[in-house]
Amino acid sequence: MTMLDETPRTLIDDLLDEQQRLTAVERFSRKHDADGVPAQARFYRDLIPLEKPRTGQQYAFAVDLDACTGCKACVSACHSLNGLDEDEIWRNVGVLHGGTGEAPYQQTVTTACHHCVEPGCLEGCPVMAYDKDAATGVVRHLDDQCIGCQYCVLKCPYDVPKYSAKRGIVRKCDMCSSRLAVGEAPACVRSCPTQAIRIDVIDTEKFERALRPGETLVPGAFDSHYTKPTTRYRTTKPMPANARPGDAHHLRLEDAHWPLIFMLVLTQMSVGVALTLAVLSFGTSPAVGATLGMGSFAILQAGLAVSVLHLGRPLGAWRFFLGLRTSWMSREILAFGLLAGASAGCALTGMAGWLGPRWAVRYLSAIGEMTAPLAWMTAVLGMGAVYCSGMIYIDTRRPFWRAAMTLLKFFGAALLLGAMASAGLLHWAAATLDSAVAAEALGCGIAATLILVALFGWEAAGFISALRDPGSTDHRSALTLWNLRRPLLITRVALFAASAALGLVAASHGGIAGAIAATAACATATAAQIIERYFFFTAVIAPRMPGGVAA
Amino acid sequence: MNAIADKLIPPIRAWDGALTQDLVQHPGDFGLGRVPARLAPDDTTTMVCGYCSTGCGLNIHLKDGRAINLSADTHYPVNLGMACPKGWEALTPLSAPDRATAPLLRNTLTGELEPIDWERAMVLFTERFKEIHREHGPESCAFLSTGQIVTEEMALLGALWKFGMGFVHCDSNTRQCMATSAVAYKQSFGFDAPPYTYADFEESDVLIFIGSNPCIAHPIMWQRVMRNRHSPEIIVVDPRKTETAMAATQHFTIQPKSDLMLLYGLANILIASGWIKRDYIAAHTTGYAEFREFVARFTPGEVSAATGISVERLWRLAQTIADGERVSFWWTMGVNQGHESTRTAQAIINLALITGNIGRPGTGANSITGQCNAMGSRLFANITNLIGGHDFANDAHREKVAGVLGIRESVIPRQSSLAYDQIVEGIREGKIKGLWVIATNSSHSWIHQGEFNELVRKLDFLVVQDLYATTETAQRADLVLPAAGWGEKEGTFINSERRIGLVKRIAHAPGQALSDFNICKLVAQYWGCGEMFRLWTSPEAVFQLLKDCSRGQPCDITGIDGYRMLDECGGVQWPWAGGTSNTQHSTSNIQSPEAERRLFADGRFFHADGRARLLFDLPRPMPEAPDAEYPFLLLTGRGTSSQWHTNTRTGKSDVLRKLYPAKAYVEINPRVAGRLGIAPNAAVTIASRRASMTATAFVTETVQPGQIFVPMHYAAVNALTFPAFDPHSHQPSYKACAVSICAED
Repeated sequence: MTMLDETPRTLIDDLLDEQQRLTAVERFSRKHDADGVPAQARFYRDLIPLEKPRTGQQYAFAVDLDACTGCKACVSACHSLNGLDEDEIWRNVGVLHGGTGEAPYQQTVTTACHHCVEPGCLEGCPVMAYDKDAATGVVRHLDDQCIGCQYCVLKCPYDVPKYSAKRGIVRKCDMCSSRLAVGEAPACVRSCPTQAIRIDVIDTEKFERALRPGETLVPGAFDSHYTKPTTRYRTTKPMPANARPGDAHHLRLEDAHWPLIFMLVLTQMSVGVALTLAVLSFGTSPAVGATLGMGSFAILQAGLAVSVLHLGRPLGAWRFFLGLRTSWMSREILAFGLLAGASAGCALTGMAGWLGPRWAVRYLSAIGEMTAPLAWMTAVLGMGAVYCSGMIYIDTRRPFWRAAMTLLKFFGAALLLGAMASAGLLHWAAATLDSAVAAEALGCGIAATLILVALFGWEAAGFISALRDPGSTDHRSALTLWNLRRPLLITRVALFAASAALGLVAASHGGIAGAIAATAACATATAAQIIERYFFFTAVIAPRMPGGVAA
Repeated sequence: MNAIADKLIPPIRAWDGALTQDLVQHPGDFGLGRVPARLAPDDTTTMVCGYCSTGCGLNIHLKDGRAINLSADTHYPVNLGMACPKGWEALTPLSAPDRATAPLLRNTLTGELEPIDWERAMVLFTERFKEIHREHGPESCAFLSTGQIVTEEMALLGALWKFGMGFVHCDSNTRQCMATSAVAYKQSFGFDAPPYTYADFEESDVLIFIGSNPCIAHPIMWQRVMRNRHSPEIIVVDPRKTETAMAATQHFTIQPKSDLMLLYGLANILIASGWIKRDYIAAHTTGYAEFREFVARFTPGEVSAATGISVERLWRLAQTIADGERVSFWWTMGVNQGHESTRTAQAIINLALITGNIGRPGTGANSITGQCNAMGSRLFANITNLIGGHDFANDAHREKVAGVLGIRESVIPRQSSLAYDQIVEGIREGKIKGLWVIATNSSHSWIHQGEFNELVRKLDFLVVQDLYATTETAQRADLVLPAAGWGEKEGTFINSERRIGLVKRIAHAPGQALSDFNICKLVAQYWGCGEMFRLWTSPEAVFQLLKDCSRGQPCDITGIDGYRMLDECGGVQWPWAGGTSNTQHSTSNIQSPEAERRLFADGRFFHADGRARLLFDLPRPMPEAPDAEYPFLLLTGRGTSSQWHTNTRTGKSDVLRKLYPAKAYVEINPRVAGRLGIAPNAAVTIASRRASMTATAFVTETVQPGQIFVPMHYAAVNALTFPAFDPHSHQPSYKACAVSICAED
């Protein structure tokens, strides 16, 4: 200690010390505006409405495209003035370009939440974590209500809600409501150097009536009829017919949502097994009921368990019933809840039906009688649940997720994997429990292989035609996979082929060998379907506002 | 009871809670309006931004004296409460994880940079440079500095290098951005004096932007254009349909590097039509007769053929200039970075002079500078000019500066420095053996970068002084000195309109990082010349010395009291010798100047005869024109407003990184793309005679068929560029090199 004290201070010590002294406050005068009125108000006073919206009115962003020249200050200022996370932005600036050699065209487009009249995010939210403010029309997100299911991210056709894995919730622009409430301008309005962004009050009904069929906010944006976005883009410059977003040709993979991939594949497999059980439930060995009932139940539980991993804050999921009126997510949760009950019943009665005769417990055997009707009930509820799953995606109105495609994929997966898993389970049952079920096992295996071939044929034909035809709805999705995930496409074909071959092996072998082959056929088919579901999520073309140049 | 129930039973809808509170806003006081409650300041202070030459005022939100957030300053006369995305994100790069926090020495065995202490770094630094000095003389080392550090640091660095350490050669990256304007003004006006003030953007009825894209490069200047209430004609001369060209009332899509022809052709039309101010020319210029005779050869037909602009449109442009009452001419890097850039800038100056568009509100031949302190570098860095815009070769100037600084006149060299390109050439020839690089990133930004990076391997000693040890240049250094950045030190910047603004210390420098000022002081002590800098105690003390140096010069700032006055006035434009104006300064007896002032109202220029000179030369073809093998011309430039200075700082901000593509892209005309089978967003190889790079094709009509455009912030671009330089300013011609393009498999 004394040693240190006696060491003479060097210039280095002095300079390092001095470097750490913060002097701005003590050295310079303060000239703060004394009153509470923000200094900047004199510049933005004309950019926000004098009066609050009346009944039938709401606030709306209005963007003067002639003044928007792409500096992107709005993005940065929104981030700073709202104290967003380091990598979080609520506003974005894209570009439209086109025109001709003689008259080239480009136009930057600033965009944030459009505070829609019929917000997709709000309708999709299972727990009512969105609120459209009755007085202002601002679509506000209730951060503490959010369970982080991210369905709003899929529902919004403008890519507005942003999920934060760190926080387990989404957040979004609230038009700086608390600023507007006290007569201050939102951050973007305040910070636009060319005053391109303002807040207007609009008459909601008049606005809805004025919407023309097929109208979009700007070229490349989603059909405004879906959510009725209120932002108004104005320009005096003629916009060429070929104006397109800067990222129009950019291929990107959307979020994979891995827990959802597994949840969908497993629940659909489970429903397929329940359906198989229902079909087989008349006059057959009780081993079928026990095996498939328990199998379906276990697979369902696995699927539901993994789905929880998708939620950022699963503890709030009990509020799911709040969204039943509008949200397919709520309906799906309810459907799977009911399904879980029926499935458990089916599994128990199946077990009872198997154990009753063996243990010679009559009432168990009597309970076993319930397996068939319960299997049908489970199958019907299960198909309802799969339908709800499908509607979640169909309701986003993304073309790649249109009803025909989504339902065929989901029910196709249920049939395929149901038959595959049933074949596997019954092969094991035949080998270990009751050789009588070998026939059912064989039947399931053959059905599974046929479904596999049919499904593969349908998918392959669709994919190839979409890839070849630039006019096809799914062309960009096909291109995305072809350019960005080709090895996985090939892997999937190989898995299909392997599954079909293993299915044939299983059909021609009995006993443990057959069981192993059938299990392997099921595993490869499942892997193929997991990849299919990965494609389903990543190759979807998510609608968004025009983006910038993308590379 | 209810309270307990409220606590225990979760609400059906949670309107509030920890997550909601995270974004809740409170009144921020200090005139800020509402701010995030988490980031509510207990004080604020204003300082200028450290990126570009616009020089915006930023209101720093402080907690316990430390910056926690910022907003654009409403009261600062430059930006009126606005900032570009870089400004809003100015604090973020300071806390980047790759800040250099200790001096780093390259381990010759492992090749890695390893931390050492300052003592060892300084001993090594001075020993190595002394050794080279001893063996190879005062011309054997050079520094390459920057327009990014404060004036006081530039002055200390330049004085230390030349007066204290006895070296001769040094230059700065300002050579890459505004050397042309400096030389053009000096030759034409007699002093490097951009004449304008930003209010001129608002007062013109005709604004002509040549090689300038302020919407992207200087958004806050464009803000001032948009505040113009005179429905001005906005004319843009640019080969590309830029954002600014879109906003123009007339866009002239000229062939690249035909701007000099265009300007001479316009002068010819104006003179031939009598659309000039003869009285003004007679009273305030020299060389008019020769100029008139010279431009007569640039007939509209010939100019049309060279520029691609029809004769009718040439006439219309000339007519617009003639009809304007207050015509302002603005140029940026499209002019400055050319092989005949000085004459091009002077051709613009000539147009302003012959039409009498100078010295009045809304007029001027106005260079928009690049870096935040390029203007400080021009006047006070002691590189090309002796401190204060003086001449090294002038005995009286040396005497005067020596007197102010309290040094012997004999330590001031008479010889001026080699320019950047000549220093690089000196390395090639083995004459330059030691190099000190301060706050610039030559390995990325220097033209024909591959050659530069080969050459630096020949150096005996390369020192890089920077905020980050991760820059391309630092990665090649023998010794890295960790520097404190903007916001971690004090000093002044001079912006494009000659406004001196203040930088304050509002953040802690990480680890052992020191300001460039303090590093120079350490070097002085270890070199053994500390005594020479006894007066240079602090940045503000240096400011007082610089004031005294400026006395009697066109950039006289002796009327500025000190930092406090700069702070209170919202910056002060040079010149300000005090006395002549109106308002009483609030805390002292010093007169404070009007907020916006321009030069040459009296028509007196800084040449001895008081006249401006009309200077001109015959246009020369570009040094590497496209040919059969390399059929396209590569244009480079700014792609977004969110990138700066080889991205050393802006690349640290997540928000800014979201605002531009991560990988290089190239703008290609649709007809070219069609012909070459390049699909939109396909990978493209761009090759020049020097290197090749890969970029994603952005197929767009905004670029002409014979040209492609790649933003300069992608490091690979300058491997392609052709090293051509303007003979007067030595500024590199970044925007013209021949390339071929083809689709990648």
